Amino acid sequence: MKELEHFQENMYSLKVSKISKHYARTLLFKDISFELRPGEVLAITGWNGSGKSTLLRIIAGLVRPSLGKVEMFMKDEPVPKESRRKFLGMVAPALALYDELTALENMEFFCKVRGIAYDRESCLNMMERVGLNENANKTCRNYSSGMKQRLKLVQALLHNPPLLLLDEPGCNLDSNGMKIVEDIILEHRQLGMTVIASNEKREVAYADRALNLSE
Amino acid sequence: MRSGRWLTQTGPLTYLNEATAIWLRDLRGEFRTRYAVNSILMFAVTTLVAVSFSIGSFRIGDAEKPFLYSVLLWIILVFSALSGLSRSFVKEEEAGTIDVLKLSARSQAVFLGKLFFNLTLLGALELIIVPLFILLMNYKIASPGHFAAMVISGGFGLGAGTTIVAAMIAQASARGALFSVLSFPLLLPLMITAIKGCERAADGMNTAGWPEVRIAVAYTIIMIIMSLFLFPLIWEE
Amino acid sequence: MIVKILLSIWMAVIIVAAFLYAGAAIGFPGQTSRILFFHVPQAWIATLAFLLSMIASCIYLAKRRVKTDHLALSAAELGLLFCILATATGSIFAKATWGSFWNWDPRETSIVILLMIYGAYFALRSAVPDPEKRRVFAAVYSILAFVTVPFLVFVVPRITASLHPENTMNPANPGMDPKTLKVFLGSLLAYTGLFVWMLRLKMRVLRLEVLREPEFVDTVIGEEGNLEPNSE
Repeated sequence: MKELEHFQENMYSLKVSKISKHYARTLLFKDISFELRPGEVLAITGWNGSGKSTLLRIIAGLVRPSLGKVEMFMKDEPVPKESRRKFLGMVAPALALYDELTALENMEFFCKVRGIAYDRESCLNMMERVGLNENANKTCRNYSSGMKQRLKLVQALLHNPPLLLLDEPGCNLDSNGMKIVEDIILEHRQLGMTVIASNEKREVAYADRALNLSE
Repeated sequence: MRSGRWLTQTGPLTYLNEATAIWLRDLRGEFRTRYAVNSILMFAVTTLVAVSFSIGSFRIGDAEKPFLYSVLLWIILVFSALSGLSRSFVKEEEAGTIDVLKLSARSQAVFLGKLFFNLTLLGALELIIVPLFILLMNYKIASPGHFAAMVISGGFGLGAGTTIVAAMIAQASARGALFSVLSFPLLLPLMITAIKGCERAADGMNTAGWPEVRIAVAYTIIMIIMSLFLFPLIWEE
Repeated sequence: MIVKILLSIWMAVIIVAAFLYAGAAIGFPGQTSRILFFHVPQAWIATLAFLLSMIASCIYLAKRRVKTDHLALSAAELGLLFCILATATGSIFAKATWGSFWNWDPRETSIVILLMIYGAYFALRSAVPDPEKRRVFAAVYSILAFVTVPFLVFVVPRITASLHPENTMNPANPGMDPKTLKVFLGSLLAYTGLFVWMLRLKMRVLRLEVLREPEFVDTVIGEEGNLEPNSE
């Protein structure tokens, strides 16, 4: 597949070195280090409040770590911090989409703003794949939380990122939705790197290794 | 499942495309909810009515009118603007969409897009309030072209000076009051210039070269350039 | 310790000299010109502090050393203090000379605008909970504020001169009489010394306070202070 070649050629990798994060005088986690290569799935587990979401946000570049650094490499060249966002897709409960737009309008916006050509057919296909097609013309305000979650999954994959950051990807989803999440994880596992933050067994089932933040 | 496309190289030319996408999306959202426009216009119209009513019956000498009316006009414009211009950033923060925006768009594109949006709001504000003001207050203007140029350049300056502040306060607490407190010192030179410029346009004396308009334009350009440099520091971690 | 004592002695000497050594300037009613020995240095320090704070902000944004932000913050706090003093003494002078506490002439206007900028700066600092963000935002704001100052310098005199045709304050000429000049320069020196001394004190306090912040919880502080967290 063209994509497989693209990812293998470009040899993306992620390196996280001794990340610590304090939050209002409490230590969330300390000295987190790992490396990730294409084909690997890392699960991050831990009690609620142990900092799983924060760690994911640090990897995404949305939050600065108190200590340590995150580096992403493309063909062994470091990717500058500002550009890291181009190579990752993220799904998280805290990451909302635009309520006052329809699903298609949201996707159109993300395409344009990320520098991808907007292809209506392709977006519709992706949305259908996650079970959203009939609702393409209602604004997201009227979506159920399950539908919003599916749309978030589409948003994360729009630009084919080599790194997927999934924070509780099955949240708000029924078993059909969970199946879709599993398919996405399996499909992405062939090509790229995945980090899943979750305590759900089904979500972390495909992980090669786990990192428990509660230790 | 995959879209089969991936990111093309974005370069300096595509900034405008991305900024426009953000601008249009903000406009579309605003069109559907009308939140910011309503609050700005309500503020402006209410203040205008109050001013007109209080002054209307009170005889102000013709010599004083150009200056006094200019002051009142700009007070109305600036404070109405301050009541609504932080909306575009604060709304993103409150709706939780700020993260996905940070992950999707380049910082300067975000700034430009929000700037265009604010300028659109200001344009709508001025288009409605300025003629209304002139009508209600019976404002005699000697050189309308000069006056219009002053109002337009002043509006641009208002947007240029406040957009980056809006981005800052959206990520802070106590947002409403803080926006006015932070913007006002930055806007002061512009406000003073605009008042003077409109006064001169109204009484028609000494209008050679339109110096105030030039100062307002210079202010706009400098504030936009500084904001383009400083915005990524505020936007990115 | 020695510096503190020397400073206080010098300041006392200046205060005495301002009243007993230098003569009252001609052209000013009664003894009012004496306030200028205090008012002008305060105003100069207030502006200088602003400049210093802004430069420190630029350096902070470039290098991100916490100590530089402490300099910016301390300079701003002291600048605010001296700005308030300058406004107060200027106002007293105005009342004594022209009969009204406030006139909105160019200098008064400028000092009030500086006051507003300081106020906004501190409002911003207290509204951002995250320490790193707070420093960056404050630095950005101080640069923006500084950029508007040249406009004010050009714009305000044009406006207020034409609006208020009455006198403009002109205290910048106490250098007529050599005695006055000596006291004036001495006062400038005293105020600068005071500013620098307070600045260093303030920075020492900040350096200790910063230990309460999360990133530095594990840091041990040495003589000069090993302040930076171990991030690369």
